[in-house]
Amino acid sequence: MATSAPEPLSAGIEAPGRLRQPKQVIGGAVAALVAGWLIVKAVGNFGGFLNATLLGLTLAGLYFVVASGFTLIFGLMRTINMAHGSLYLLGGYIAFELQEKLFSDNKGGFELSIGQSSGETQYSTIEWLVPLLIAALAMGVLGVLIYQLLLRWNQGQELRQALITIAVIIIAGDQMLAHFGGVAKDIKLPASWPTSVDIPLIGSFGFFRLTIVLGSAILVGLLLWWMIKRTRFGLITRAGVDDRDMVSALGINIPLVFAAAFFIGSLLAGFGGVLGGSMLSLQPGQDSAFLLNSLVVVIIGGMGSLGGAAVGAVALGLVQAYGASYLVFGGTDLTNYSILLTFGLVVAVLAVRPYGLFGRPA
Amino acid sequence: MILLVPALALFIVACGGDDDGGGGGDDGGGSSDEPIKIGFLSTCEGAFGAFYEATAGGFNVPLIQRGAEPVSDTPSDGVEGAEIAGRPVEVVGYGCSDETPEVAVNEARRLVEQEGADILVGPLSGDEGIAIANYAKEQPDKTFVNGAAGAQDATLKVQAPNFFRFHTDGAQWSAGVGEYAVEELGWKRAAVIGDDYSFAQTSAGGFIADFCANGGEVVKRIWPSLGETDYSSFIAQIPDNIDGIYTAIGGEGLISFINQYIEQKGPIEPDEMIGNLFVDDPIVLKEIGEEVVGVTVSGNTAADATGPDVEEYLDRLSVYPEVAEAGASVFVYHYYGAMEAVAKAIEQLDGDISDVEKFHETLANMELTGPEAPYGDVRLDENRQAISDNYIKQVVPGEGGKPPTVKTIARVPQVDQQFGGAFTPDTPSPDRKNPECKDYDLPWEGKLEPVDFESGESGE
Repeated sequence: MATSAPEPLSAGIEAPGRLRQPKQVIGGAVAALVAGWLIVKAVGNFGGFLNATLLGLTLAGLYFVVASGFTLIFGLMRTINMAHGSLYLLGGYIAFELQEKLFSDNKGGFELSIGQSSGETQYSTIEWLVPLLIAALAMGVLGVLIYQLLLRWNQGQELRQALITIAVIIIAGDQMLAHFGGVAKDIKLPASWPTSVDIPLIGSFGFFRLTIVLGSAILVGLLLWWMIKRTRFGLITRAGVDDRDMVSALGINIPLVFAAAFFIGSLLAGFGGVLGGSMLSLQPGQDSAFLLNSLVVVIIGGMGSLGGAAVGAVALGLVQAYGASYLVFGGTDLTNYSILLTFGLVVAVLAVRPYGLFGRPA
Repeated sequence: MILLVPALALFIVACGGDDDGGGGGDDGGGSSDEPIKIGFLSTCEGAFGAFYEATAGGFNVPLIQRGAEPVSDTPSDGVEGAEIAGRPVEVVGYGCSDETPEVAVNEARRLVEQEGADILVGPLSGDEGIAIANYAKEQPDKTFVNGAAGAQDATLKVQAPNFFRFHTDGAQWSAGVGEYAVEELGWKRAAVIGDDYSFAQTSAGGFIADFCANGGEVVKRIWPSLGETDYSSFIAQIPDNIDGIYTAIGGEGLISFINQYIEQKGPIEPDEMIGNLFVDDPIVLKEIGEEVVGVTVSGNTAADATGPDVEEYLDRLSVYPEVAEAGASVFVYHYYGAMEAVAKAIEQLDGDISDVEKFHETLANMELTGPEAPYGDVRLDENRQAISDNYIKQVVPGEGGKPPTVKTIARVPQVDQQFGGAFTPDTPSPDRKNPECKDYDLPWEGKLEPVDFESGESGE
């Protein structure tokens, strides 16, 4: 018995070296297959391919706005704010409520209607922007409160912080259900904006998705990039990501910086909620759906990396859009399983880069 | 390490609060001073949550008709002093589901096993209906009368002896509309888009059987999940080389779908879309009516119908003015018909429903006529499934600033669930691929009766 022992041991040592080769080969083969399949589809119907791509990119824009706040908080604090999705949904609901209460001609009271109240009220641009600003700022303040009241005294205990914010999700989810009901709500867009725009090769495409959502994502990305690369706050943030203890040892007021990060990150969640409530709709369950989206985005891109969040969002958006359009092989229609592709993407990225595409070990 | 936390979180979120019901029920319905206990089950969350008060209103009206007083203007607040055939009636609870079968069965258990309901009226939607029909087999001494759930399997496949459906199912609501598409709209090739669950697949299945029986071809079937918020990728899948699209998207999703369809494809060409009953539901028309004017729809109500029976029905509903305005909504009409059938059966037995078998037999032989079923007489087949009329309609602009309504074009009299043999207990359930597109032999082929209610042609 003793003589046979060394053999499996040495085999175990050699195994990682041998395994690396097949993993890369398989990865390459899968990537080539996917690319080839997309090219075939693109050549077959180029307009349709552009349409799917643009749909994916606009969805990615929404995911990026939400996930960039998530990754900002994580990058600095190593805290996963599980309540990020709740801030998204609550931000949307607050904007909806403000628009209804402040600007609607509707009397309210018991009325049989589906979703939102009467479609009669025409809103102006201001009547969309004011709820947006108030809701986003309110979520920023709420984020700071969550940090100050619930997380600050658990500094450094990541698991405990994550569990506390999970409690926030559950409590907030039930409170929102009690207050806003289980029926989906839409934030109404200004009546003066066009419904769609005409794009060569594609035909009509949603105006709001294309300009406002995608534009907001690019603007948020640029502003965050400028803030992180060019401001003192960004300097501290970047230093904090690398060595938090050293940063505080240098006399920097870390709690203040953390509060600021929470404010901006939560504000972005609320902002995303208003965009999402206008582009899609608001309903119970979207808090966890957008938490999941944000998690997938930052896991793909790498926790704490802004560029990673952008790449992750684009990857997630495109995979969802292509999955919904192109998972048809002859007579077999697998588009209903496109959700699985999202997780396939996560598995594939983590297999090759365990910290995400742009992530570094904490 | 980092991945563990999200996994844990999502696990917890996914499993968020549900509670178990238990405990023994008491068998009521015996002596004459004991109240008959009735439970109401509908959905107040999710894609169909907006129809909750409409269903509660329809359910309450037969009780109010028999002397009960509404507690408030909101139907789900309940009624007081209900009596049928001298027996007091107690509504033990207004149950609320979220269109999922799990929650529906949990609520049914609560109402039946904990609150002691003898009779359950509900649920609202397809998958729930199949689940409740199966649950009915567990409770043979209780009585289950379907609310508005329209999946075919609930009666055709499950066949619970104590589960009754006094309205036609999703496929029956499509009877005749495929022929209309071929003959009047000139469709040869069509695509189908619908929610990925039993009711929408039943509804689309009826269209497919009817359309293909008349020589049409269904080239693509697209199934976004129920409660989807972003239909754009699914709309992108609709082929260009078709004559029209049949939509079986329901509830909240329909509003997003129509808006996003217009965003991507431009204004709806009326001759290129046929909708199921959700499109012309008065509650939905208030929201998206202008966009779908001219579109063809089908279903078992006719909002423009006139005549004494319809007037009497709407008059009964008028205790709830909002509900009366939506009288042709299947959610009001079906819950009304269900409760009306229950009340009539209790009356026929002089308030004594202690002999459950006799009560079930009475229900199985029940016919609804006149103001009890103003849009077409209802009788049940051997699976306790309704046989009744179906209507082909067109969405038309409303008069005097009112939301759009419908103009009825044709009637298909007394449609049966089995489509003359196209659907049987042995054929596959309607799903993503079934029924096949082939030449079925339908009893009503070539027999659509033209209807014009405006000229007073109500012809009951």
